[in-house]
Amino acid sequence: MTEKAAKWIFWLGTLSSLVLFLVLTVDTHSQFAALTHADQLDEQVIAGKRAFEHYNCNDCHTILGFGGYYAPDLTRAYTRLGSDTIRRRLAAPDVAFADSYRKMPQQNLSEQEIADIVAFFRWVSEIDNHDWPPQHSEARWKRSTERLMAGAVLSPGAALINQEDCLTCHALGDRGEKIGGRLEWIGSRRNSAWIAEYLANPEAFAPGTEMPSFEHLSGEQRLMIGEFIVSLDTAEGR
Amino acid sequence: MTYRTQNVAFPYFVVALLLFGLQVIVGLWLAINYFFTVPQDVVNVFSFATARAMHTNLAVLWLLLGFMGSTFYMVPEETESELAWPKLAVAQLVILSLTGVTALVGFLFGWTQGRPLLEIPFTLDVVIVIGVLMFLANIGTTMIRAKRWTATQGSLLAGLVFLALMYLFGMPFYKNLAVDWYYWWWVIHLWVEGAWELIAAALTAFILMKLTGVDRKVVEKWLYVELGLFLFTGIAGTGHHYYWLGAPKYWLWVGGIFSALEPLPILLMVVDTLRDVRKRTKPLEPKLTWVYLIGMIILHFIGAGLFGFAHTLPGINYYTHGSQVTVSHGHLAFFGAYVLLNLTFFYFAIPRLKGLPGNNYDERAGHWGFWMMSLGVVGMSLAFAVAGVLQSYLERMMGQSYMLSQEPIRFWMFVVFLHGLIVVAGVFITIKHLLTLKPAPAGAGGGAGS
Repeated sequence: MTEKAAKWIFWLGTLSSLVLFLVLTVDTHSQFAALTHADQLDEQVIAGKRAFEHYNCNDCHTILGFGGYYAPDLTRAYTRLGSDTIRRRLAAPDVAFADSYRKMPQQNLSEQEIADIVAFFRWVSEIDNHDWPPQHSEARWKRSTERLMAGAVLSPGAALINQEDCLTCHALGDRGEKIGGRLEWIGSRRNSAWIAEYLANPEAFAPGTEMPSFEHLSGEQRLMIGEFIVSLDTAEGR
Repeated sequence: MTYRTQNVAFPYFVVALLLFGLQVIVGLWLAINYFFTVPQDVVNVFSFATARAMHTNLAVLWLLLGFMGSTFYMVPEETESELAWPKLAVAQLVILSLTGVTALVGFLFGWTQGRPLLEIPFTLDVVIVIGVLMFLANIGTTMIRAKRWTATQGSLLAGLVFLALMYLFGMPFYKNLAVDWYYWWWVIHLWVEGAWELIAAALTAFILMKLTGVDRKVVEKWLYVELGLFLFTGIAGTGHHYYWLGAPKYWLWVGGIFSALEPLPILLMVVDTLRDVRKRTKPLEPKLTWVYLIGMIILHFIGAGLFGFAHTLPGINYYTHGSQVTVSHGHLAFFGAYVLLNLTFFYFAIPRLKGLPGNNYDERAGHWGFWMMSLGVVGMSLAFAVAGVLQSYLERMMGQSYMLSQEPIRFWMFVVFLHGLIVVAGVFITIKHLLTLKPAPAGAGGGAGS
């Protein structure tokens, strides 16, 4: 190879890649607003991002997969945990993770900061990022729940969930709210006996939770709810 | 050493090495956090996040100071003139070191910008920019005054200016998280797979010319091809970080294709180096410098090239993104590409700065240092890789909760820690060896070819 050819390779390689990169950057900017729902990016979300950075959350947790790898990814924290769970964990991590082998620092956040961070997580959870991370894919939860509901005779546990209005706070399939944790998410982490005990006295497990007690149900009924929730966990398709 | 002002390089090497020692000690503490339950009271005052900020910022700081010192060593020889302002170079070292120390202490008290790797607060960022401008002015003026342009110093200067420009994109506050990460990668990716590669290629070319005696024309011709390929694959290859952050889908194609080509320039660098070594007109002496040079290009290729390629394709990255797989690649790539580059340069420059006879030195302890560090980091990266594959399978594919998937990983983090002990021992042997280089013992083969 001659030196002239080598110089050509340098300039062609560099400039072609640079031009492509800059053109795509401009195009990406024109699409960010739609992909990230930038119209919902209000002052509280921005305040939440500032608080998230102020407390250096991102050097333990990942968000959009970036950051420290020491704690769970937060991209879909709002989707799977709901606002009340996030609030409790931020307010008293020492209590929420008392049994955990990894601790989260108690940073003494104000009520306002916690509300801001929840708003930030809510906004982040709606970013269209090609359904990453796979383990927190709402689309997959919805699909598997749909399959389950279509294939089964309405189970007594499912009927109880309707009767007790669980979906006023919890998400399930296409329905429900995001104040408590998504039922599919709970089902993948807990067994039915644990859920039954929790239902009797949520405060004992999660001090400060907004969730009411379901002591008025019989132990058997609570167990049925637990069995239904656990049945939502399909190992396939995550 | 031919020029008096090359001497300013030495204090840069000293500070860089001391920060390197601190960095690996903090690394040990991070590994402990993974397999040992640190009590809540300790976590409240010194969290994993704080330690990680220190570990990564120390890495960046010492590698950059090492590059700067190496530049101050190389530029007088390349331009065949003294540095424009040697005292400014000393002032710059003081400013950057103090800023670095302030930032580290600040982290302990929660003074942070809170963005991984870019935690240094805006105020200190400004001071760093001033320090870097002093640096560029010094180097640029020296080169312009000398009017002796070579491809090697051109590549070095381009890399340094590129590096400084990209730093600016990491400074502001971005309201939109997706946009924030988009430009975060302009700093991180375009540094390590762009600007730093230019600097690495220039420093390697310089050492090769000096050590092998191979003709400048040959070395610099291939330097152009290397740089062209680095930038062709590296710039658009930034796209492999844009898969899952809320950017359009075409990045899966652009990132996948360009980053699949990223091992090529590194492979070319390996081939070029080995060819130059084969065609050398000078003896392989002292042996340790050559061990470093060859070790660097091999681990650069494995760590950055192969480990990077292993999880860069979108179909794989969907499951491995943001897992310990990334950590595995990060450690081996940084060590192979940039830690060994700096140390190679130190081993090349320090005997010359000290005027040791025949540019030779007593190399015995240095070999221990090299092998302990290198085998330690390779073992550590393999343990991280096992942890990462486990995590990808259990969490991402099977849908286990994060904490459940971390249980089997704790053992592998203990394995990481054990390797970390070897690394730390190797690092301290190396630091002591470099800072106390002695002339080669008589009759130990020294000086034969000088």
